[in-house]
Order: sequence, then structure tokens, then C-alpha cells
Amino acid sequence: MQGVTRQFGETVAVAGIDLEVRPGTVVGIVGPSGSGKTTAIRMITGSIAPTGGRGEVLGEPPAAFHRGTRRRIGYMPQKFSLYPDLTVLENVDFAASLYGLLFWRRWARRRAVLELVELWDVRGRRARDLSGGMQRRLELAAALVHEPDLVVLDEPTAGLDPILRETVWQEVHRLRDTGATVLVTTQYVTEAEQCDEVVLIVDGRVLASGTPDELRRAAFGGEVLDVTTKELFDAAHLGTAPGIRHIRQTGPRDFQLVVDDAGEASADAVQAVSGDGVEVVSVREHRASFEEVFTELVRRELDGENVTADEVAGDEVAAAERADRERAA
Amino acid sequence: MKLIVRIFALIGKEIVEVLRRPGAVFSLIIGPFLILAVFGLGYQGIKRDLSAIVVVDPSSELPTERQRYEAVNVRGLRVVDVVTDRPSAEERLRDGEVDMLIVAPHDLPGEMRAGRQSDLTVVTNVVDPVEANYTAFLAETISSAVNRELYRVGAEEGQTYVIQNGAGELANVPPEVIASPTKPSVENIAPIEPTIVGFFGPAALALVLQHMAVTLIALSIVRERAGGTMDRFRASPMRATEVVLGKVAAFGLLGGAIAFVSVWLLVGVLGVPLRGSPAEIALVVTLLLVASLGLGLLISVISDSERQAVQLALMTLLAAVFFSGFALRLEEFEPIVRAGAYFLPVPHGVALLQDLMLRGDATQPWQLLALAAIAGTLLFFSWILLRRELQPR
Repeated sequence: MQGVTRQFGETVAVAGIDLEVRPGTVVGIVGPSGSGKTTAIRMITGSIAPTGGRGEVLGEPPAAFHRGTRRRIGYMPQKFSLYPDLTVLENVDFAASLYGLLFWRRWARRRAVLELVELWDVRGRRARDLSGGMQRRLELAAALVHEPDLVVLDEPTAGLDPILRETVWQEVHRLRDTGATVLVTTQYVTEAEQCDEVVLIVDGRVLASGTPDELRRAAFGGEVLDVTTKELFDAAHLGTAPGIRHIRQTGPRDFQLVVDDAGEASADAVQAVSGDGVEVVSVREHRASFEEVFTELVRRELDGENVTADEVAGDEVAAAERADRERAA
Repeated sequence: MKLIVRIFALIGKEIVEVLRRPGAVFSLIIGPFLILAVFGLGYQGIKRDLSAIVVVDPSSELPTERQRYEAVNVRGLRVVDVVTDRPSAEERLRDGEVDMLIVAPHDLPGEMRAGRQSDLTVVTNVVDPVEANYTAFLAETISSAVNRELYRVGAEEGQTYVIQNGAGELANVPPEVIASPTKPSVENIAPIEPTIVGFFGPAALALVLQHMAVTLIALSIVRERAGGTMDRFRASPMRATEVVLGKVAAFGLLGGAIAFVSVWLLVGVLGVPLRGSPAEIALVVTLLLVASLGLGLLISVISDSERQAVQLALMTLLAAVFFSGFALRLEEFEPIVRAGAYFLPVPHGVALLQDLMLRGDATQPWQLLALAAIAGTLLFFSWILLRRELQPR
């Protein structure tokens, strides 16, 4: 999608967002409620047309999808939209029929997909009698029953308890591992960790996008080390040390260093502090929660510090080296 | 005080909710008002004049000029022709060209001289018991009018008659024959004896089928929209054509089953005659259901809420009760209102089911085509609107 915009009257729901999704990945559109996630999703599924910009999904503009293309998409709406008076099995069967699955294939698929979301044992129960979590899983089953290439899930974890949310994410990862591309929205920013790529969206605009680690780097300007010393230490002394981008004193004996590469910078930091005659108690890489990342990015946005693409991408060389190290590990 | 605050909060909320839905305001206030206005302006409240053919025996020497019989002024009756061939006149009656035949006595003077009253027979072809009663009443009126006319002619020609025939001959005629030279008799050539249940049963069935079909499909689509499934349809390969066909087939089958059971109950339990072929009745029921489902579909695609769909469905029922011929004969409405009523499926359904069940044949076969045309038109417009709704917005 390039510069895609959607207006409802005078209200701009989505303002010129760019989005590129690589096949076989989990892409999360993360943002607070009312940020434009669902509008973006509905433009991707072809439910609504953009008022500006252009986009292609599976090689076609969504507003002009052919039926064959629609068959390759599985969509789970934000709101429960199945039939309360039909049983679990009947609902999944109906969803499969929407995509034209013939009886024998439906027969096999509905069992497979209900076992997947652990609803096979309650297949005879009416949807209205299911708990909220079970209804979300039923929606998920309905979205997956025709084995789509692109799965679009609009807030699949909304209203679920943490254990069920984890179950949903396990299923999302399993889908990704089978080769499907999963596009998922969530208002729980911490769930960005579960995605291969994250698009942070606020007020209809993309605040930042990239892998979770890239967003961390973008938020803090690099990787963060938490350092604790035995004695009082003024970290400003380290200002000229190589590889250190930023220093933040967080306590009399604690400070944070923003560095290009946490692995390489740890030893240098210990050496630099020791050089001042102070013993280092611990040096740990600070893995910021996504709530911190999100807050920091929004703060920077409000402060007018635009998050550039380079910042989001970080040092590509460093990222590649880090990936190599992870693979080696 | 808090009680009043809460009550006023509810009052305000409900009024604002209603007023913020223009469609609901229309169907709540304007809709019933319009129906009542059309009914008030369009219903004449008087029965139209019945058309009649006078059948005279060629040997009776009665006049065959229509103007002569028009002079026998009977309120509610219009003589359109005078013929001497009764079988062909009955054929015209069966075809619905006229409402009745008046068979004149073949030898009125002779019967009178013999001291007997002559039969003045009114032949009808009605299955409506109300119409049958009215015809009997009209036969009495005709007979009285004829008798009055005879007195008038007698008074004019009396002296001549006495001179020619002698007064003694009339002295032998009984007083009741002199008072009423003719007596009315009614013949009904309809194949069944009109009864209330027999006549209103098929009409009620048509009314119920239309209302059921309209309500079921209208609510179904509105609920799909409110429940979010339209969004699911929009994202899936589902097309408007498939939605229309699927819904119409589903509710058509359901309505067909209800119609089957209803007909069985009407015939088996209530004793309503079933003279037509089941295939023809099934065809009428199918067309009525499909046309009604088209109407319901149209209501659903123009309604923005379940409440509005329910109101429009009830308005359709109100219009159907007034303008279907169920309670009031369509002939008693102004022509323009009658023409408007024919845009509803139910008047055709009522007439066709009554004809097929009670007479065994449709007296107005064009109504089959009318039902098919209504069904096609309503489904087409509903499909257009639904297609637009399912396209990316």
C-alpha cells in the first residue's frame, strides 16, 4: 500500500499509510483503539475502498478483487459475526461454504480446523452458548477453514484472558510456519513482540514500522545497556567513549547506555567504568517492553522528533551481524 | 427527584433515538398516515353498479331493446345487453364479462291469467357469501321494480285491456298475483355453495403467506447487517446474486411448507373446497411467495435498522388488509387506488387462490403474469441495491 488514505466525510480515518507485507510473515498493525487499524484492514480485504493512494493485495487492487483472489483470503472481523443460533460445527460449515468448499472437503476441513482451535468437543453447542474466548476461537476457525494464503485477523485477542491470547498467538505462528501470511491488528502493544514485522499506527498515520527489535532501536536510538556499579558513579564521564550514543543516569549507582551493539559495547563499558576506579556490579542488555517502546515513539512524535526510516531500520549492517550471531547461537 | 431525572433521561433518549432515524419517523408517522389517506380518498364506500344481461324468451313477445329495460330503474343495477340465447349469456357470465343474468318470465300474461306468479330468475356466479346475499337482495329489488313497472303499464293500458278481454277474467286472478305478478328466484352457477370459511380461507392464506415472507426475509438481511455478517460476505467471494437466490430459496421452501400445511388444514379440517389442480395452486403459492420475498428483500435493503424493517413490514400488512380484496372488494375503490393495489402481490394471490380452490379455474389468468412481473421487478431492484451494498464502500 502506498499513501493509502480513507476519509469518512470530514474525518480522516487513515492518512497516507505505506505498508509492505512479505509473504510468510506475521505482520502486526498495532495501535490504540480508534487509530485506524480496522479501517486499514478493511481496505486490505476489499470491504471498503481507499479515497486516496493505491494498494495491491495478492497482485490485485482490493476494491477490484476477483473471486479467486477473495478465496485466498481469510478474514476474522473484530466483532463476533457468526450465527448465534447455529452450532459451532454449522457455523464453520457455513463459513467454508462461503468459499465454495465442496461437501467432502468441508467435512475434512471443519474437523481439522475445530480441532486446531480446540472446539471439536463442543461442536454441537450453539455459538450463543460459548464463552467470549471460545467465540473468538470459533471466528478464527471460520477464517481458516478454507486454508487461505493471507489471513487477516482484526483484533483476534481483544477481550481474551492472557492464556487464551497466548493460544491465539501460537496458532498465528503455526499458520505462519505453514507458509501463510498473517496480518493481524491488536491494541495490546505488548503483542507486537509476537509479530515478525510491526506497524505502529496512531491517529491514522504510521508512526513506525519494522521488526520489533528495529522499533526498539528506533525508540531509544540504539540498544540499551543497564549498568550497576558498586560505588557512586557519574556516567557522564563516559560521554566520549566509542560506540556510546547516549547516556541516561537512572540512579546514584545505576545508568543506561544507548549503544550501537549491546554485545560489543558491554565489555567496553565495563572497561571504561573500571578505568575510573569503579567496580561494575552488573551489565545487562535492557530489553524494553513494547509499552516503553510505544510510549517513547509517541513521545518522540509529539515532540516533533520524526522517526526516520533509517532509524527504524537501524544500522542494517549491525542488524545483519546480529542476525548472524543469533543464527550461530 | 432522582426518579424524575432517570425517567426524563429515558424519555429524552428514546425520543432522540427515534428522531435521529428519519426512516423510522417516516414509517412510524408518515407511512400509516399515507395508507389511511389513500384508503380514505380511494374508498367510495358504495357498491359499484352490477352489470346484467336480460335474457328473454323469443316466444314471450317481450321487447329486446335495452332502453326498455333501463327504464325499469333498479338502484345498483346496470343492464348492458338483452339477448334471447341463455347458454351464450351464461358463458359470458362465467367469463366474468357481467355480474348477473336476469331471466325474464317467458309468458307473464299467460301465467297471470292462470293465477300464477311468474319466476323472475337472477343467475349469478359468485363464491363470496356476502356477494351471494347481496344478489338475493338485488333479485328482490328487481322483482319489485318489475312489478311496479307492470302496474304502471297496466294503469296506462288498463281500460283497453278490460275492453278487449272483459273484466271478469281478472276477477279470477288471486290478489297476491295481482300484487306481485313476478317473484324473484336466484340461481348461482358457481361450482360451490358460498360459505364464509370457504371464501375467506384462501384469502387469509394469501395474506399470511405475504406477511410471513416479507417479515422473515426483511429481518434476516437486516440482522445480517447488524451482526456484521455483511462485512464477512463483502470480504468473501459471495455475490449479491447468491445472497438473493439463497435467501429466496430458503424462505421460499419454508413458506412453501407452511402453505402446504395450511392448505391441508383448510381443506381437511375446515372443509374449504379444493377444486383446482394442486400443480396450479403450487404455482400460485410459489409466485406469491417469490413476489412477497422480493418485497421483503427491498424493505430490508432500504431499512437502516431492525426496527424500521419491522415497521415497514407491518405497514405492508396494513396496506394488504385494506387493498387486497380480503376485507373490501377492490372494485369498490377508485380506479387509481385499485391500480396501485395491484402493485402488491397479495391482491393477485387472494384472487387466484380463491378462484383455483373454489372454482377450479382462474377467472383472471393475467394475474399469474402480474405476480411474476412483480416478483421479477422487486427482486431485480433488491439485487441492484444489495449488489451496491456488497461492493467496497
